[in-house]
Amino acid sequence: MRPCGTFDERYSQDMAILRIKRHWAVLIGALILLYTFPLYGSYYFISLINSLSITIIIVLGLQLVSGYCGQISFGQAAFMAVGAYTSAILTGKLGVSFFIALPLSGMVSGLIGLGGGAPSLRIKGFYLAMATIAIHFVVMWLILHLQITGTTQGLHPPAPRMAGFEFDSDEKIYYIIVTVMLLMTYGARNIVRTRVGRAFVAIRDNDLAAEVMGIELYRYKLLAFFISCFYAGIAGSLWAHWIQMVHPEQFTLLHALNYIGMLIVGGGGSIPGVFFGVLFLRLLDEGVMFIAPILSSVFPWIGIHPAASMSVSVFGIVLILFLIFEPRGLAHRWEIFKASYRLYPFSH
Amino acid sequence: MKMRKISFGIVGLAFLFVLSVIPGYAQKEVTYLSLADYTAAIAGLNVPADMGCEDYFKELNAKGGVDGVKIKFIGVDTRYDVARGVSAYKRYRTEPKLLVVNAIGTPIGKAVAPLVAKDKLITLVPGDGEFQAHLGRVFIWGPAYQDSFAATIDWILSDWKKKGKTGAPKVGYISWDNPYGKEFLRGGKEYAEKMGVSLAPPEFFPPGSLDHSVYLTRLAKAEVNYIFVGGVDPTPTNVIRDAHKLGLTKTIQFFCDYWGPTSLGTRLHPEALEGVVIVSYYLRGDDARNHPLANLWTKYGRGKIEDMNEVYTIGMSWAMTFEAALKMALKEVGYKKLDGEVIYQTYQKLTGIERAGLQGPCAYSPTSRRGSLEVKFYQVKAGKVVSISDWIKAPDAVSLHKF
Repeated sequence: MRPCGTFDERYSQDMAILRIKRHWAVLIGALILLYTFPLYGSYYFISLINSLSITIIIVLGLQLVSGYCGQISFGQAAFMAVGAYTSAILTGKLGVSFFIALPLSGMVSGLIGLGGGAPSLRIKGFYLAMATIAIHFVVMWLILHLQITGTTQGLHPPAPRMAGFEFDSDEKIYYIIVTVMLLMTYGARNIVRTRVGRAFVAIRDNDLAAEVMGIELYRYKLLAFFISCFYAGIAGSLWAHWIQMVHPEQFTLLHALNYIGMLIVGGGGSIPGVFFGVLFLRLLDEGVMFIAPILSSVFPWIGIHPAASMSVSVFGIVLILFLIFEPRGLAHRWEIFKASYRLYPFSH
Repeated sequence: MKMRKISFGIVGLAFLFVLSVIPGYAQKEVTYLSLADYTAAIAGLNVPADMGCEDYFKELNAKGGVDGVKIKFIGVDTRYDVARGVSAYKRYRTEPKLLVVNAIGTPIGKAVAPLVAKDKLITLVPGDGEFQAHLGRVFIWGPAYQDSFAATIDWILSDWKKKGKTGAPKVGYISWDNPYGKEFLRGGKEYAEKMGVSLAPPEFFPPGSLDHSVYLTRLAKAEVNYIFVGGVDPTPTNVIRDAHKLGLTKTIQFFCDYWGPTSLGTRLHPEALEGVVIVSYYLRGDDARNHPLANLWTKYGRGKIEDMNEVYTIGMSWAMTFEAALKMALKEVGYKKLDGEVIYQTYQKLTGIERAGLQGPCAYSPTSRRGSLEVKFYQVKAGKVVSISDWIKAPDAVSLHKF
């Protein structure tokens, strides 16, 4: 909602993501902060941003397929694994450059994801969720038993290299991860503004009505799965080269559940919602990790283990609270805040 | 009035918080970090083990620490999640005088180990023979998994002979379909072949499976005489429960590895577990509960002694190993120069140190990453886990495998 008297005069104005100078200033300021962070930030926070960025990419993919297209998917962790393994095999065994392996990992994940999306024409809702869970198990079983994936021992992909420079530390790979995250966010933001994005929303809101309007359901549902898995594959590739180890136990169904939790907390059908969800839950988790030893030393009767294991309960409680009190997630709260800020001192 | 109370409350809490965060100025302290799973797949092992470690450190600190140096125990719940484990390590790696990282769980250990090595600290991990094969800064808690399997093969051969049977026994293997589950056979298989024992094709099931009948039926069809069951309790208990339902426990002798049924597990299915043999590198059953150090369980309010999970003693054993290393390191370099590199060197000098008989003598040395070499066999008899052997040196099965 915009203040009274603010309107667009040209199509380009209507389509602009950044509408006013202040938006540009905030963006440039944020980019400067982000790209100079390794110069003054601590190792822990740099690593945390790496981890957050990778999670944001995965949840962006999930947002497109679930939040925008309405197709529930529990396969995101498995498709991330596909990306991670593809990248590890391409770079580690075939000597392909990371910068080529990165998009290829996304493509391979996306193509395999088409198989995941195939049941979506026939089934939806709970049944589709079950089908994607099954896909998760099939993918993970294959990874665990194929020789090329190193079976139970996993793989050790090398650090990315470019012109002799090795991105072998958190500080160095930070620039790759953050840049890819920004590009993927930009991509997602634009996808949802295109004809494809509008088709996704139409399918989510009423698939029958969408079909009557001439939207090819199967094509767009498959496309949503492809894009979502492409995102997961890219995230997987980044993960593999950041941790420099891929292992079947890094990609569990619990991770997939966490990503859905982030979507619920952040808010479905919103790109900023992805950031809110990921940041909120991950920082909450880190907060619990930080506060647990302090809690148990200030209140010894709590004990180290109950304090340290609080994060699981906190995650559950937060999820329930959001589902009850704010099912539209933090993104909706943000919209309310923006509207009231823009319209101040008027209520509407 | 209400606001004033709330304000006082907040100020009070903030005061307590600040007190806890600011380290005591004259206090000498070192840090022991435990990256453990308190809420997921292997919590049954991790929680009691870490309780043992924590309680032993509490007791030690209450008595003044190690030559005046107190040990700060930090326990983080990784939820068996590699990302969380890595993040926790990065969060706590700058703790003052962090010397040891106990990474409980194979995938977390493997992910954290290179980071820990980069920081010149040491990592402790459960029992992967890989770390014995490739000597580095990763130390395992006891004998390697494959060593314990090899000890079981020896036990089977002697049992076979005792029963007056001819030919070679056939052994089945069933465990989780994950790195831990497969580790036993990396060297264990070669040892069985070397000893002339025939192994049926191993059966692997996904962690969390509720029914194991299909896998067990296949092993029964392969006409095995013995079955070795892997998995962290309650998994082995559940596998043997299913075997009992199928009537297999009458004809096949079952074995469990050292994460097999504790006394608590045997309480759940005493009939099914009757006669099961457990190969263990730490004390179990009444051996553990009657140990003088077991009183820490009640002293620190963990519950009744009969409810003590024997894994509690492993935690105390880790703590005692660390105590010995710290003592030695302090003597050699003093508190100021104490760092990860010193502890790494010291851990390699712990050969032969005793840990009050909780497990065999320490075997860490420049060429060994094994926490001990001995195993003890226990058997479930009348619903109790009782000792049926002395400490026996487990064969080296790691060297038989090409890692």
